[in-house]
Amino acid sequence: MARSEAAPRSPIMNVMWALAFAALFVVLAMEASDRLFEILVAVVLLAGASQIVVPATSGNSLSLGFAVAAAVPLVLHAPGGDVDLVAAATVFVGGGLVAWVVAVLRGQDAVVSLASAMRRAFGAGVYAVIIRYVTPLAEDLIGFDSDAARLIGFAAGSAIWFTLEVFLWAFVTFGRRRISRRYLWLLAVKDWMVALSLLATGALFGFVYGDIDLWAAIVVVGVPYAFAHLAFHRYQDSRTTYWQTIRALSRIPEVAGLSPDGHGDRTSEMAVRVGQRLGLSPDEVEDIRFAAMMHDIGRVTLNEPNVIKMGFTEEDIARWGSEIIGESAYLERIAHLVRQQHHPYRRPGEYKDLELPMASKVIKAASAYDHATTELGFSQLEALEVLHRGAAYDYDPDVVEALREIVDAGM
Amino acid sequence: MSTQRSVRIRLAIAYVAAGVVVLTLLAVTQPFPNFVLWFAFALPFIYLEWRAVEINDQLMASSTIMVALTGGTIFAIEGSSAALGMAAIAAVGPLVPRDFRERRWFQPAVNFGQLVISAGFAGFALDLLIPTGIDPSAAGNIARVVGAASVAAVAYAILNYGQVRSIVKAAFGRRDIRPWSGMAMILPAYFVMGVLGGFLGIVYATVGFSVLPLILVVFVAGHYTFASYGELREAHEATLRGFIKALEAKDLYTRGHTERVAYFAQLVGEDLGFRGSRLERVRVAALIHDVGKLAVPRDLIRKRGRLTEEEYENLQTHAHVVEEILAEVEFLRPMVEIASGHHSQFDGSGYGGSGHQHGKRPSMEARILAVADAFDAMTSTRSYRMALSQEFAFEELRRNAGTQFDPAIVESLVRALTRTGERYGSPGLVDEDQARGMAEGRTSGQV
Repeated sequence: MARSEAAPRSPIMNVMWALAFAALFVVLAMEASDRLFEILVAVVLLAGASQIVVPATSGNSLSLGFAVAAAVPLVLHAPGGDVDLVAAATVFVGGGLVAWVVAVLRGQDAVVSLASAMRRAFGAGVYAVIIRYVTPLAEDLIGFDSDAARLIGFAAGSAIWFTLEVFLWAFVTFGRRRISRRYLWLLAVKDWMVALSLLATGALFGFVYGDIDLWAAIVVVGVPYAFAHLAFHRYQDSRTTYWQTIRALSRIPEVAGLSPDGHGDRTSEMAVRVGQRLGLSPDEVEDIRFAAMMHDIGRVTLNEPNVIKMGFTEEDIARWGSEIIGESAYLERIAHLVRQQHHPYRRPGEYKDLELPMASKVIKAASAYDHATTELGFSQLEALEVLHRGAAYDYDPDVVEALREIVDAGM
Repeated sequence: MSTQRSVRIRLAIAYVAAGVVVLTLLAVTQPFPNFVLWFAFALPFIYLEWRAVEINDQLMASSTIMVALTGGTIFAIEGSSAALGMAAIAAVGPLVPRDFRERRWFQPAVNFGQLVISAGFAGFALDLLIPTGIDPSAAGNIARVVGAASVAAVAYAILNYGQVRSIVKAAFGRRDIRPWSGMAMILPAYFVMGVLGGFLGIVYATVGFSVLPLILVVFVAGHYTFASYGELREAHEATLRGFIKALEAKDLYTRGHTERVAYFAQLVGEDLGFRGSRLERVRVAALIHDVGKLAVPRDLIRKRGRLTEEEYENLQTHAHVVEEILAEVEFLRPMVEIASGHHSQFDGSGYGGSGHQHGKRPSMEARILAVADAFDAMTSTRSYRMALSQEFAFEELRRNAGTQFDPAIVESLVRALTRTGERYGSPGLVDEDQARGMAEGRTSGQV
């Protein structure tokens, strides 16, 4: 799958965008000239923090920049107490501009990173506007004291900001990868924990800024952020460990000559694409990725002379495989899928088995497709023909349809 | 067993009594904090205690120290008793549904006592060191409050750790407290969390009730520090279990073998003074040392009798392919290096794995594994011969010490096994030919 289809690159367009961005920044900065120093500090902080990426599940890159941006409207307020929207907007635009330049200098795609910088600046701007108008509303209309009203403003602003971010990210990404939108939205929402800890960290700084010494304020937000950062990295590490383990296990029957080379890898890749195409949830797709990788692990048992003497069926292989991976609670679901993957969609003369997980059906079809194209040496068309013949009995027609679309699109 | 039970009963009674005495004394002499405020911190404390994470064998860690110290700092600033408030919070924490579901009475009882004592003392330190009604945002006062919180955090962490450690030693009589070496590692994290609790107390006292939701998010971030550690640990364990299961699926004989080799390697490691992660590495390397077998082609396994030189090469190549695959799992890489070095000899000759260079000594860990592997090979029954006696195995190891095996490690194994008094192999069977004959049914023998 092409992760990013080549967007039209035009250096002139890039320069134009950069100039427009810079012009907007200058205009805003002139408007907010009375607090230029604070703004400059905030811009530098925002751009720097944007380089510190916090691992998120979706692949949407959330950074410490979110925390800085969350603090900006709470710190920069007019003498009366209202948020200084012009100053905040200046920081967001300026920070986004600098972060974009840094991203391009680091060799990232100029168009893609510009889009994300603008998306972030826009989202943060909406957040600031909501805080500006919701806070006095909560104070005057509902009668909260000013601190509680500030909290309400933050809660409303950050909720809307995160929603915007999720929708815009899914929208932009959808254009680049042909995956169901439902899958992308659910995927992005899974980041809420990361986003919440970033935004709350920033807000905490905004709440205490000016009330206690600066060094204490920095400790109060820095230490919890360090905890969260470490924790998210560890989660990432454990996911990586599972993935590496599963890949290594799946390679063992292959190097022993008990299963065709690379079969697990290819089946997994195809099954994931089918799952994404069918609009399954990210969790289901992740399970498919793992289970498809492992679906032939039971074949290691075929090394044992006694087993070969006694004979075995596909069902036995599936059972042995699920016994090997069913050891951990985390992999239990995957073991279940591996156990189920040999089941046909519907046996002749029977009703279809409603209990059969979608993931298992996807893996069965993807495995058969890979078997046909590599071991049997069929062309893509012939392999699809094999699946079509088995549709509604061996394979789920919906799965076959999605797989055909993927092959047709040449992905 | 029954003595252990009576030890536990006595410990539980002592801790419950101590907890009740401390609580009563505080309740009689000290003013109780504002109840709503107290409840606002008791609730997250209970929640986080429920969600405590197993970060090592049965060692549960939670970020509750942060909650307790935040509450305590606020109580002390506002002039009520931090000691009573924190002890009362700690008293409700150990009522964990998990323990009741599993019908455990010992853990809640001693946890009640030890937590009340730890929290009570920490609170007492806060009461002493923070003057009532101090303005925490004034210059210089922050440092003062944070200093008090640091003292309290040290007291809490050390009391908590020390008590749990001694309880486990007394009640479970563990031969090794290897899993607990991980606990010393989390002490700094406890301390940092405690001090952070002091800062959060200042923030609350300065800003007011409305900042509480943000403080709760910080508590949760602290929780995820431990939760993610537990998750990573579980990922590693699951990985190992998967490989071992795959190995067993292939070869049932291997199961007992790997477990025993791991045990011998651990005994030797402990005897040589290995601790913590180094010991763990040896043990894990022993568990995976035979994983190369997984990829050995069928015809080689089926073959009876001796292998030709070429077949042996082939077998080694396959084993190495598996080692390379395993090394792709990042955290296993050091263990794989040990495991792949265990065929090389002490004097540097012999056929070794990817980690082996001719004429160079294998690593200490690999040498331990070599001795443990050879010892178990001799003292267990194989398809072609009966198990030999322990004496024979010791003698054989000693005979090859200096060339194939490291003499220090051989002696260490002999020492460790003599100390534990365990015996392996068939008693009195010291003749290898006889052992082979018995396996083939030529000689009948009573063993």
